Amino acid sequence: MTDWSESTRAAPIALRRESLRSRAMDRDSFIRQLDWVLVAAVSVLCVLGCALVWAAAKPQGLGSSYLKKDVLNILIGGSLAAVAALVDYRTLRAYTPVLYAASLFGLLVVLTPLGSTINGAHSWIRLGGGFEVQPSEFAKIAVVLGIAMLLAEKREGRSEPTRNDILLCFGLAAVPVLLILAQPDVGSVMVFMITIFGMLALSGIPGRWVGGMLGLAVVGALFVVHAHLLHQYQLARFQALSQHNTSVAAQTFKFNQKQAGIAIGNGGLFGQGLGHGTQTNGQFVPEQQTDFVFSVAGEELGLFGAGLIVVLSGVVLWRALRIARYARDQFGTMVGVGIVCWFAFQTFENIGMNLGIMPITGLPLPFVSYGGTSMFASMIAIGLLQNVRVRSNR
Amino acid sequence: MPDRSRLRLVVLGVLVLSLVATLLGRLWYLQVLNAPQLRAEALNQQIHDIVTPAPRGEILDDTGKPFVDNKPALVVSVNRTALDRMGKTVEAQVLHRLARELGKPYTQLNNETTPCTYPKVRNQQGQLVYTSRPTPCNNHLAYQPVVVSQLKPTLAAARKALQIKEKPEEYPGVTVELTAVRHYPKPNGALASSMLGYIQLIGPKQLAALSPADRAVYQNAQVGVTGLEAQYEHYLRGAPGVKAVSVDHLGAVTGTVRDTAPTPGDDVVTNIDAGVQASLEKQLQNAITAARHSGYTADYAAGVVLNARNGGVVAMASDPTYPPGAFVPHISAKLYNRLQHQEGSPLVDKAFESASPPGSTFKLISSSGLLYDGTMSTGGYYDCPTDFLGHHNFDGEGGLGSIPLRTALIVSCDTFFFELGDRDWNRDQHLIAQHKKPVEGVQRIAHAYGLGEQPGIDLPIGEVAEGHIADRYNTKLNWEQNKKNYCAGAARRPKGSYLQQIDEQNCKLGYIFLPGDQMNQDIGQGTVTVSPLQLAVAYAAMANGGTVFEPRIAKAIVSPTGKLVKRIKAPVRDHLPLSKSDLDYLRNAFYGVTTSRSPVGTGVSAFAGFPMNRVLVGGKTGTAELTGTNQNGSWFVSFGGPAGQKPQFVTVIEVNKSDQGAISAAPYVRNVWDAMYGFGGNKALFANGVPPHKLPKVQIVEAGLPPAHHHKKTATGSASATSSATPAAMGPPPVLDARYERQRFARPGAAP
Repeated sequence: MTDWSESTRAAPIALRRESLRSRAMDRDSFIRQLDWVLVAAVSVLCVLGCALVWAAAKPQGLGSSYLKKDVLNILIGGSLAAVAALVDYRTLRAYTPVLYAASLFGLLVVLTPLGSTINGAHSWIRLGGGFEVQPSEFAKIAVVLGIAMLLAEKREGRSEPTRNDILLCFGLAAVPVLLILAQPDVGSVMVFMITIFGMLALSGIPGRWVGGMLGLAVVGALFVVHAHLLHQYQLARFQALSQHNTSVAAQTFKFNQKQAGIAIGNGGLFGQGLGHGTQTNGQFVPEQQTDFVFSVAGEELGLFGAGLIVVLSGVVLWRALRIARYARDQFGTMVGVGIVCWFAFQTFENIGMNLGIMPITGLPLPFVSYGGTSMFASMIAIGLLQNVRVRSNR
Repeated sequence: MPDRSRLRLVVLGVLVLSLVATLLGRLWYLQVLNAPQLRAEALNQQIHDIVTPAPRGEILDDTGKPFVDNKPALVVSVNRTALDRMGKTVEAQVLHRLARELGKPYTQLNNETTPCTYPKVRNQQGQLVYTSRPTPCNNHLAYQPVVVSQLKPTLAAARKALQIKEKPEEYPGVTVELTAVRHYPKPNGALASSMLGYIQLIGPKQLAALSPADRAVYQNAQVGVTGLEAQYEHYLRGAPGVKAVSVDHLGAVTGTVRDTAPTPGDDVVTNIDAGVQASLEKQLQNAITAARHSGYTADYAAGVVLNARNGGVVAMASDPTYPPGAFVPHISAKLYNRLQHQEGSPLVDKAFESASPPGSTFKLISSSGLLYDGTMSTGGYYDCPTDFLGHHNFDGEGGLGSIPLRTALIVSCDTFFFELGDRDWNRDQHLIAQHKKPVEGVQRIAHAYGLGEQPGIDLPIGEVAEGHIADRYNTKLNWEQNKKNYCAGAARRPKGSYLQQIDEQNCKLGYIFLPGDQMNQDIGQGTVTVSPLQLAVAYAAMANGGTVFEPRIAKAIVSPTGKLVKRIKAPVRDHLPLSKSDLDYLRNAFYGVTTSRSPVGTGVSAFAGFPMNRVLVGGKTGTAELTGTNQNGSWFVSFGGPAGQKPQFVTVIEVNKSDQGAISAAPYVRNVWDAMYGFGGNKALFANGVPPHKLPKVQIVEAGLPPAHHHKKTATGSASATSSATPAAMGPPPVLDARYERQRFARPGAAP
């Protein structure tokens, strides 16, 4: 393990009891053990996000109000990340079942009349004061932690999970997935499936299981389409990618995607300048502060700005992969892998739909899109990654 | 960590890297490779052009009186895009309300405003089709409001407009604006309808002929479709103003990118004199009334007054006609239907749009032809028997023995021309027998006079009749084309009936140009057809010493500020291949028609009491027998001017289905002469009896400015005179918006 923190610098013991500042600089201190590259990447993404959310909401005259709320979300998210990073590893494992139960409760509440519908998905709980909570975002964390715990705890003495472990994982994931499917939020369901698949595959299960799961996914997808389990509009999101479907829903999605493409193309290399995107200001792209925020980056910041977002998202994934690789235990690795799969799919799906190569779903771009719950969940995930990393060096 | 997991972690890493690479690659494609196209699409979405039509140029008479100008009108428009946004129910409610207010059927209003291209869906075969495409539909751009009504500037209309304007909540998407629309002041009561033509919304074909950039600008344009409006469209239309506005995704305007003001169109000053035009139109009506009083059908009358010296059309009219504004903005189905079925077909202008046998007025051409090919000479005497080979005289006298050409023209002896025509035909047949080309002198001269060909007037070619001059070649050609019909008719019709006999003869022998055909043609009967305009051009050529003009209605193009853009002169199409002495002889003979007491000319009675010593008028009567009736195509053509000078004008009147030319046409031609020169209690229409050469004085009055600020601008024939006026002298530039309004005061001194 060749981490930079392992460099053989002598720790001056005398400094231990001295100033807070010098304690912070201590080789073994929590602060110095944090992955600062990850922190930097996330911070820049958040700052870009703020700017873009402002620019996207500006044409409606809501620029500053969205900016304020976004900053507030980041601050709350940052605090949650700090808590997630600082909390004891064992405490975390101990409270995982509680977290899991709480997120299930949240998902159930959403399905009651307390929940509200936004953009066709019944996945929100209004808290009043303009704040809403999306329990499925928190459920992502609960499921990652829950499966990580299951796969880690069963590992004593064995090198790989048993069949029962795997089935238990399926069972554990199935409950929230079914609840989210009932909302229905196909995008989140896909995040769950990919995350669970990735975590299981990385836990070292035999290749036939991996192949089996992939086969099952294909058969399942075919079944879902042919048994008409999806709503027409859900199907249309996928069909919008093909040229041949002419249903109204597919045309609408295609239109939206085309508008995003036009806005991005309109940006060119250097962009039109923040707040000066003509397509953005004309609000040709729908949902431009949330799902299609990347189109604002494309138009106003150009290839360099939009490319920076892609690269920074890649950096986040790289750091997360590293943390998973050097985690002290299986739990840490599984948490890291789970978060990588979640972020990787969600980032690729979101930017991909902006670029017209993925179907339209309601998945936000982590750290950049406007949205409280998504921001909190993503930040908690970063906190967990830092937690794993700090522990890995103790 | 197990090895398997470690390996799979590497796979995950590679996967993540490839995803990032995919996104960057796609981003590169969109923002670099595909950027120009996407940027163009963006621009196309963001910028919409709103077109303000330019005030159209006016059409003026030779003294500056407008035949067509623009007047402000309250225009009610519907913006269907804005209305669509309110939902189907509200849309229907608003349209119903508006229909009631405007007194228009709902369906019509709905159809007129529904875009032709909406809604477009795929049918079962997978083709894109329009679900419903009502007629008429709106072929404008969806965001461009559609004009649904032009209210007359009356108090009641203004009240109506105010009601709509004051309740925007009840009329979303409906606007009421003060705009310039075409107006027909009818100077001196003259209509000149079909000559002026009309404008209509540009058609799909005209639109398709434009460049893509122009197509967007002219999508909503009113363009000239007939008459002078079509002929001088290029000058009259001006350049529309284009305001490019940036719009958001709903089409709502967010700002102005650029704004070009419309350039008003140039005016067309014509040779038409409103006074003469009105007089001619009135005389046509009188001729019809009189003929009907004598028991004739008199379904139509047509006439032309031509400036014999320069080929300018001074007046041209046909009766019955339609009101000049009937087609603007569009003609009602009811009126159109009535005009189509009315006797005398008012939609066809018989002065230039159709041709008919000219009767003995054609003798100018046959005389010229016979002199030209040597069949006859001015010194010769030829027989004028009572009948020739069974053919009688139609009008005029016969049985005068051996007479010279002059007498034959004065008394209009048909048999004189029969005999010469027969001689002419036989000579040609001999040439053909010797495998030589026939001379066909009459036909050749007829073409030199511009007959049987486009007269080349400044009107759309499709509206102008060529007439027909039969010769051996085209007779055979016609027969080849129509043989089938003749023979079918001969077989189908009851045997022995009049039409059956004609068909049978045509079927068997129609390819032969018979001597009878030549004889008939020489007295202007049978297959020969000529329009009054063509006849006027021919007589003008004889009168002016041999110059055949392509007549011109327009005299000049003048800019709205009074600057001369272009002077228009009638081009010379031909010079008659006749000697001066022959032409002088003919002119004198035609003077005899109206003046000779012995023998008595056929036009003498009509010109009884006319002061020939002051204005000498010659002419020729024509009476074309109409097959199967006892009615005639009655003609009188005349030329004249101040005595002792070259003839100034040619005046022709044709009265269909009436008495002889001397009775049904000649007196009304004389009345026009009286009016022009101020005889018989009229006030002379031209000073010195000559049409003005100078362009009229034009006064421009800008709307919204007090009278003290009005600018006078004189348009004269020379460009240098106009360029002396500096921009400072012209005052502030005119307000060039839709409400831009100009008024002209025809008579100098009438202006404040």
